[in-house]
Amino acid sequence: MTVLANPQLWAGTLSLAVPLAFPAIGGTFSERTGVVNIAMEGIMLVGAFFAVACSHWTGSAWLGLLAAMAAGGLVSWVFAWAAIRIAADQVVLGMAINFFGAGITAFLLNTIFGYNGTPTTTPSLPMVTIPALAHVPVLGWFFHQQSILVYLMLAVVIASHWFLFHTRLGLRMRAVGENPLAADTLGLNVWRLRYTGVIIGGILSAVGGAYLSIGILNSFDVNMTNGRGYIALAAMIFGKWTPFGSFGAALLFGFASSLGNALQGNQVPTDLLAMLPYALTILALAGLVGRSTAPAADGIPYLPNR
Amino acid sequence: MAVFVLFSCRGHSTKLDKIRSSREELRTIRRTGYERGQVPTENEGIKHVNTKKWAIGITTMLALSTVLAGCGAANNAAGGKTATGGNTTGGKGGTFKVGLVTDTGGLNDHSFNHLADVGLTNAEKQLGVQGEVVQSQSANDYVPNLTRFARNGDNLVIAVGYLMEQAVEQVAKEYPNTKFLIIDDAITDRPNVASAIFKTEQCGYLVGAMAGLMEKDKSIKGINSQNVLGVVGGQQIPPVTSYIAGFIEGAKKVDPGVNVIVKYANSFTDQAAGQQLAQSEISQGADIIFPVAGGTGNGAIDAAKAAGVYAIGVDANQNYLAPNTVVTSALKAVDTATFDVIKQAQAGDFKSGVQYFDLANNGVGIAPPISAVPQSIVDQVNQLKQQIQSGQITVSANMPQ
Repeated sequence: MTVLANPQLWAGTLSLAVPLAFPAIGGTFSERTGVVNIAMEGIMLVGAFFAVACSHWTGSAWLGLLAAMAAGGLVSWVFAWAAIRIAADQVVLGMAINFFGAGITAFLLNTIFGYNGTPTTTPSLPMVTIPALAHVPVLGWFFHQQSILVYLMLAVVIASHWFLFHTRLGLRMRAVGENPLAADTLGLNVWRLRYTGVIIGGILSAVGGAYLSIGILNSFDVNMTNGRGYIALAAMIFGKWTPFGSFGAALLFGFASSLGNALQGNQVPTDLLAMLPYALTILALAGLVGRSTAPAADGIPYLPNR
Repeated sequence: MAVFVLFSCRGHSTKLDKIRSSREELRTIRRTGYERGQVPTENEGIKHVNTKKWAIGITTMLALSTVLAGCGAANNAAGGKTATGGNTTGGKGGTFKVGLVTDTGGLNDHSFNHLADVGLTNAEKQLGVQGEVVQSQSANDYVPNLTRFARNGDNLVIAVGYLMEQAVEQVAKEYPNTKFLIIDDAITDRPNVASAIFKTEQCGYLVGAMAGLMEKDKSIKGINSQNVLGVVGGQQIPPVTSYIAGFIEGAKKVDPGVNVIVKYANSFTDQAAGQQLAQSEISQGADIIFPVAGGTGNGAIDAAKAAGVYAIGVDANQNYLAPNTVVTSALKAVDTATFDVIKQAQAGDFKSGVQYFDLANNGVGIAPPISAVPQSIVDQVNQLKQQIQSGQITVSANMPQ
């Protein structure tokens, strides 16, 4: 009980959910338009690196965030081009992007900043405590000293849901993910819509990476995402390819990690606790949440003349 | 003749026009994209075969670029000290060649991989050896990386880290004429392997004692009323737990009632996890955080700084990461150890078996404390240091049960 009453557990839950929720929602955008996206891990790393680098060069963490989004958009544009225009295998391509992201960021870090890592003077995004929220019981625990990106994430969750399910463009994006031929027949530009989905996905994944590097810290380290892009993939599937679902799954995984952190040192084996989020993933996918069905045309390149 | 040519030209011109116009049509279709319902022409069919090739090409290129990026990092690591090649025998007559293989932590771990490279760089400058560095991207790289240097004719191959034990055992057996040095692990049964073991429990003990003494002095700014210290470990492996065992023993020696919370990140690169674990410990009352976790530890130091509590650096003097937060650092002189073994090997008196580095030979130590630590505490810690050096106190490297 004392563990559950510790505000840090809940603040940690929300904080650890952010780097999962952004890429999970990003992946949702991509897969809803019919492009299987497992490249979140690599794009997050690229985002994390450019966030720190530009934050350091320009002296503004906000410009760093913009640079991360641009870099994420660029990498996902290459991914989109290969996946959509030349119909490459999307899973293989995604893995290639992941390895590419890990390699290029390690290379750039060593080349640009040397082995002492990114400078300690790099600015990071502000931490915010909203006074009105801080005194609300329980809810205030969640929002104690959180990065500004936490609030941005909540806005993104709501905006994404509205966009995908309540706007014409959202409907069209979902249509090309379900039946591109039908959408094409009705005069929609399948390729352009898919590009849009993948690039929005890349931008959001990069923000998730930037949260790790300039949201809660102010430095980049090789492979600092530590597999979160893959957990985000699970969160996306667990959340049935919806923004709210992805966010809920991210919160659950965040809670599992945070609980693992809190319980450590109390005679509970640490390896078991570290396993908790992954065990939850398996349980979730094994049917706890019912069947989750991918968009019908997910992963199938659309070649109009076949 | 001329008439015939003229005629034939004219005759052809209508045909040519037809061909031209149909080509034009095709071009227009291509330019405007595929028209719905259009049956693909043969040419376009071929184009699709090509797109598949393209796809494979692109994927291969991306994968290759990763490999290249890795190589780039490795070459860069060598910093102009790449092997000349050709000289496969090395040794006699030629320059003394040293290969350094990092573990997955990589050269920018702010910690022992980095320090081993510093030692090698010093050896290059002072002893004129020729060094080469390769960073392991995963545990699967250990054997190939070690083998590469051994086959390349390097006289001494250095493996940085306990995690490379099996790989060194294997490669040292295959290349009995190459000398190996493994850092942080004891391999005793091979005549061509030297092991450098650091008695980090000793420096852990000293910083633990300093933390314990600070904990008792509530007048120090940032020290709370609770008697709690926090440790963030990377993994539960001996080079980490020896520090922590010493830390706990030292803290309990001066402050028997202290509660030391130990949490592990299960990663040496996950800064966010380090930050979260430290925050968790701080929320449980810890006001001095001791990370023993490579890159993960940077996140823990960040959390300590943000919360206005103290931290203790590890391996290298990490005060520069947060000057008012990192009160001192437990030092592990991997750089001098690496340098010493290279020097011995170059001079021809390579010693196989374990070499210990401890307080007595300055293999471990503590960094000068910042001014927030009262002089009386520094004096007491120095006293303990002398007692360890003289053998009055022996520190165990095993975690208390």
